[in-house]
Amino acid sequence: MNPERQRILGIFGLLVMVVGITAALNPDFLGAYNLGNILRWTALFGVLSLGAALVIMTGGIDLSLGSMAGLAGALLPWLLRVHGWPAWAAMMLLLAGCALLGLLHGVLVTRLRLAPFVVTLCGLLIYRGAARTITSEQVIGYGVEHEQLRLLATGSVFGIPAPLLLLVGVALLTHLFLARSVAGRWLLATGRNPAAARLCGVPTNSMITLAYVLCAMLAGLGGMLFSLDLNSVTPAQFGQSYELYAIAAAVLGGCSLRGGEGTVLGVLIGTAVIRVLYNATNLLGIPTQLEFAIIGGVILLGVTADELLRRLRQSRSAL
Amino acid sequence: MLPSPRSCFALLLCVLCACGDGSSSEITVGFVSNGVDPFWTIAGAGAAEGAREFSVKAISRFPNEGIADQQRIVEDLIAMGVKGIAISPIDPVNQRGFLDATAQRCALITQDSDAVGSKRICYVGMDNYSAGRMCGALVREALPQGGEVMIFIGRIEQENARRRRQGAIDEILGRSHDPDRFDPPGQALTAGPFTIIDTRTDGFDKARAKANVEDALARHAELDAVVGLFAYNVPACMEALRGAGKLGVIKVIGFDEAEECLAGIAAGTVVGTVVQNPFEYGRQSVRILAGLARGDRSVLPKDNILSVPARVIRKAEVDDFRKQVRAHLEAGR
Repeated sequence: MNPERQRILGIFGLLVMVVGITAALNPDFLGAYNLGNILRWTALFGVLSLGAALVIMTGGIDLSLGSMAGLAGALLPWLLRVHGWPAWAAMMLLLAGCALLGLLHGVLVTRLRLAPFVVTLCGLLIYRGAARTITSEQVIGYGVEHEQLRLLATGSVFGIPAPLLLLVGVALLTHLFLARSVAGRWLLATGRNPAAARLCGVPTNSMITLAYVLCAMLAGLGGMLFSLDLNSVTPAQFGQSYELYAIAAAVLGGCSLRGGEGTVLGVLIGTAVIRVLYNATNLLGIPTQLEFAIIGGVILLGVTADELLRRLRQSRSAL
Repeated sequence: MLPSPRSCFALLLCVLCACGDGSSSEITVGFVSNGVDPFWTIAGAGAAEGAREFSVKAISRFPNEGIADQQRIVEDLIAMGVKGIAISPIDPVNQRGFLDATAQRCALITQDSDAVGSKRICYVGMDNYSAGRMCGALVREALPQGGEVMIFIGRIEQENARRRRQGAIDEILGRSHDPDRFDPPGQALTAGPFTIIDTRTDGFDKARAKANVEDALARHAELDAVVGLFAYNVPACMEALRGAGKLGVIKVIGFDEAEECLAGIAAGTVVGTVVQNPFEYGRQSVRILAGLARGDRSVLPKDNILSVPARVIRKAEVDDFRKQVRAHLEAGR
């Protein structure tokens, strides 16, 4: 079995274990209502995680993702309710705006050779400030309007949460891009060994820039979906720390921070593990104060086990 | 010759200073919140009204990133030469040293959340424990036969939140008046026909706030009422209940005046809410600080506590109250 499949099986095993333990301790966990909620939250966070994963696969990092989601999530109701824009135009504008900001990240990282950490850290601050300034720091939502649009996040089709369907679409496209397209393979090759990829004729700068653009667009899409779901956006806080959840899900799902590794399925399962852990702390009545510690501990456990298995495989193949 | 980086920096600072509207002759006072929320927009409008009324300049600041941000803002205000600061301390017990140090440099009063034992001059606000009891009374009114209740709140480490939650618990369970009592979260509390299953906190993350309610609905099918003790908790409760098809079935009792909460009261899906008077917090704080800056100590309230009582908003009062809130919000903007 190839290492990627082993890794996916490993993280899937962790998911099954957490699900199994929680379901055994509280059968309500497997209720349709609760599973629907978990799937919806996994879908919403999954969109962000896929974006984070694409950048991580190139060996970069995007810390601005949560603020970008916050900006798009705050500007959507602002454009719709304050300025009366049609929904499709507002969403297109915001996605294009996010793509432009992603392009800027990519250009700063590849052309000016600035560290991705610094570029996106500045983005984190700038976009948060922009969201607060543009909306005059007012809590903003859709009220009782735009019920149809909100179904994108709150609706369901044959019992399947709408965001999950969106995530499946985004995940399929991302998978096809990474696994079936030349550009996708170039992107992974860029992350694995940029110098070697460049020598082989891979346009590494373009690939890195593309990853930042896609990440920013997914952050924007995710932010809009979150805003539609919650119907209330506090520009100062909306999406805060979501970049960390997204990065944690990507790493737990098998993306190496050194770049060149990762699968869409792994990232989705990684996201699901984190959401299930949050759900489990509530369903098992574990004090909220402990939830970060539990989630951090489980992620550390998963990543450590993955690294130990990788070394074991390497030592076996060396023999 | 090109200007040196240092002279460019000095020029930039001058430009930035010139952009401000500071005036050295005017008395300036600071008004500092514990976060960002429409509640504080209204309080800021009250501070602005107070500034007009009492002929001072009021600078309202709303820290976004917790205690460190609040401390930075206070230090900046002191550096700007404000004569007094009205603050809602996030963690009054642990911020006591900082508050005392601030009180050495300018007149310090607390508003919204008190810091008992610190060197603050006086407190403007309501008694959160009593307001919590008013919220608990709404629960008892909504569930005359008793039932299972769950409480949702942003955090309980700040004094006002702790007292508010405790007041609600004590009233629901029919206990005696004891603001110093503390029931740690994570354990069910039962007395008579009422059970408070738990208190879940969300750390101001709205997604988490909604998920907490959904998880409670999944775990406790027999839940009768949910209580949202921070302004955004009520809309989060409503969204989760709407998603589960239980809005209007499970009782919602709120705190503060989020627009969704007021709309819910008007529509009959929220039983009622306990509201403070943030506009008066702002106005009265500026009045007292302005008086102190002019050496007039007669502005200080008796026992150094100016009580601005909370009130209950039910369906009958909600329309008038909404108009008032909108007017204050507009003024704040």
